Amino acid sequence: MNSPCLRQCLLVLALLPVLCGPAHGRNASGWQWSLVLKQNKVSDAMQMPTALYIDPEKGQYYVVDSGRNRLLSFDRRGVLLHIFNAGKGLQTPFDMVRTGNGGIWVVEKGKNALSYIDLKARSITPATLRYQGALVYPDRLEAADSLLYVLDKARGRIIAYTLEGLAARTVFSCPDCDGGFIDFRIHEQRLWALDRQDRKVFCFRLDGSLEKVLALDGRLNFPVSLAIGPSGSIYILDRHGRDIVVYDRNGRFRYRFLGRGISRGQLYYPVEIRFDPWGGLCVVDEGNARVEIFRR
Amino acid sequence: MMRPAMVLLLFLAAAAWNLAPTAARADAGTCFSCHDRSAFSGPVVHAPVERGRCGLCHNPHVARFQGLLRLRQDRLCYSCHRRQKEAFARGVVHEPVASGNCTGCHTPHAGSGKGLLKEDLAGACFACHRDLAGKYRYTHQPYAKGECGRCHRPHRADNLQLLVEEGDRLCLGCHDGGDLAAGHRDFPTPPGGCLSCHNPHGSGRSALIRDELHPPYRQGCGGCHRPGGLTVARCLECHQDVQQQMMATHSHLTRRNGNSCLNCHSPHAGDTAALLRGPVRLLCVSCHLQTLNGYRQSSSKHPDIQDCSSCHEPHGSSHLALLKGDGIALCVRCHEDQGRFTHPVGPGILDRQTGQVVTCVSCHNPMGTKYGYQLVRDGKKALCIVCHRAY
Repeated sequence: MNSPCLRQCLLVLALLPVLCGPAHGRNASGWQWSLVLKQNKVSDAMQMPTALYIDPEKGQYYVVDSGRNRLLSFDRRGVLLHIFNAGKGLQTPFDMVRTGNGGIWVVEKGKNALSYIDLKARSITPATLRYQGALVYPDRLEAADSLLYVLDKARGRIIAYTLEGLAARTVFSCPDCDGGFIDFRIHEQRLWALDRQDRKVFCFRLDGSLEKVLALDGRLNFPVSLAIGPSGSIYILDRHGRDIVVYDRNGRFRYRFLGRGISRGQLYYPVEIRFDPWGGLCVVDEGNARVEIFRR
Repeated sequence: MMRPAMVLLLFLAAAAWNLAPTAARADAGTCFSCHDRSAFSGPVVHAPVERGRCGLCHNPHVARFQGLLRLRQDRLCYSCHRRQKEAFARGVVHEPVASGNCTGCHTPHAGSGKGLLKEDLAGACFACHRDLAGKYRYTHQPYAKGECGRCHRPHRADNLQLLVEEGDRLCLGCHDGGDLAAGHRDFPTPPGGCLSCHNPHGSGRSALIRDELHPPYRQGCGGCHRPGGLTVARCLECHQDVQQQMMATHSHLTRRNGNSCLNCHSPHAGDTAALLRGPVRLLCVSCHLQTLNGYRQSSSKHPDIQDCSSCHEPHGSSHLALLKGDGIALCVRCHEDQGRFTHPVGPGILDRQTGQVVTCVSCHNPMGTKYGYQLVRDGKKALCIVCHRAY
């Protein structure tokens, strides 16, 4: 082979990545598996974990183990600290937050209630929520600035309640959406809500007024959860796609990563995604009964 | 250096031309020496047949596909009908189109109908839609005449029922004005949502009112249309058994104007006691269209999934994927042998990676995979070594 031919071959090889287009595959994400939160005792493994709460002050993770009616806490290294079942008083817990006085608020689907667990008094007080007389079906839960934000699954809206007395303060809703919201996050004084049916993300100010709407593209299969990254990127967890799809702050697709399976870094019916304060992207994997944390 | 490459290319092109099926250029008379020509003639003749190009579609010697077709039926048709290939891939696609069964409705050689449609097109519809009655006590006129195309698009549409128009607009195309108002006097709301009460094909009741009436509807409107709104809680006042199902880990409590029951159920009348708005599969697909598409595109899938509710609980479940039970109990209802003799599964057999009980769905995905027996990975080795790592 003469040298001009060899140079042409080398040139083609060098240009292959450019010719093939940008790497939108999973290896372009930069996210690496870092940690897993799971009950290592196989016979006592979690069953259908549905939510993760992160306590930045204590540096702890709390996982809601819906299938076994309990809450598990882990330290930042993933070491299991406590398993708490509130004296077997929890009925299908689904989500939780901790508030400043150390109490725990838990959405108990088995009671259709938002329950307050007073650890010192060792009591659980379930509360049935209403808004304008209509029964609320609590689903997802967040806490910020002395308010509890509750997703009403039946109406697909988010209602902010006061901690004292659970009085409804503000509603975040989308009257024109067919399906309503199925997840939300509070990030930098904004409430971001995910409309699965229409594949849109809504950004509200905390007074309930709508700031903007981002339409995501049709490559999502079954989005169930969202997280807002430090740079404003939007991370959408696709339960049936078994991956995470990332969009920029304007709703343009950037990349997707992870995939289906049971091995490390793979997902099987994932249900929630959120960022921890230490740069970790946490994925609650219901089917694989664990929480996996990825870092860059 | 370029000259040898050009010569090679020219040689390959010539070889390809010479290897092209000779029957494509053969006289169709050869074919008609055995095949009765009259079966290939009619008021409308497919262009390749008219030109005697039998070899365009058929291999006269041997083929992989029935009818000695050169390619799978849909690929053959789309090799000429390219615009249709793109158009039919969007939105909701009719099942025969999705499965490439063009000759389910079209005759490939000659026919009497425009578009080479089979003469008895309604018969073609009912060959699949066997659950539809041929006749009702009161039958909608277009249905009685077999004019399915008056309301439905045969290939694809942007709605699940493949209607030519969405919502009430289709009905209002024929039924409007004074008759409509007169027929709905004293209604608590302006008439709308026609199919909530009327069966567009036919019914045993006059005015095509669906056969099964919701008791509050039968008694008047005030049972539901009262202060407080039409909320889920209103429905659950009576349907308390459903209330329990809704309080599971996952439920179908998703908003539809504040009452998610109305996603699937008509509050007025239905064709069955469950008052569903349509066939179960159609209802599910209204949200889970991509699941259906994935199922259709899979090479290995559970056959004949028509009723999703045979495995999935439509209201709520504390099992993954809203299954009615665990991933063994469901399967052995039908697969009894495998329930008795199989790879160890069940309580005490735990997946070491996840701590979850090994069940049928640990290895099989009935919604479709690319591996035989609906396995989630290649069953020769890749599937096994996920757990049996020593091998």
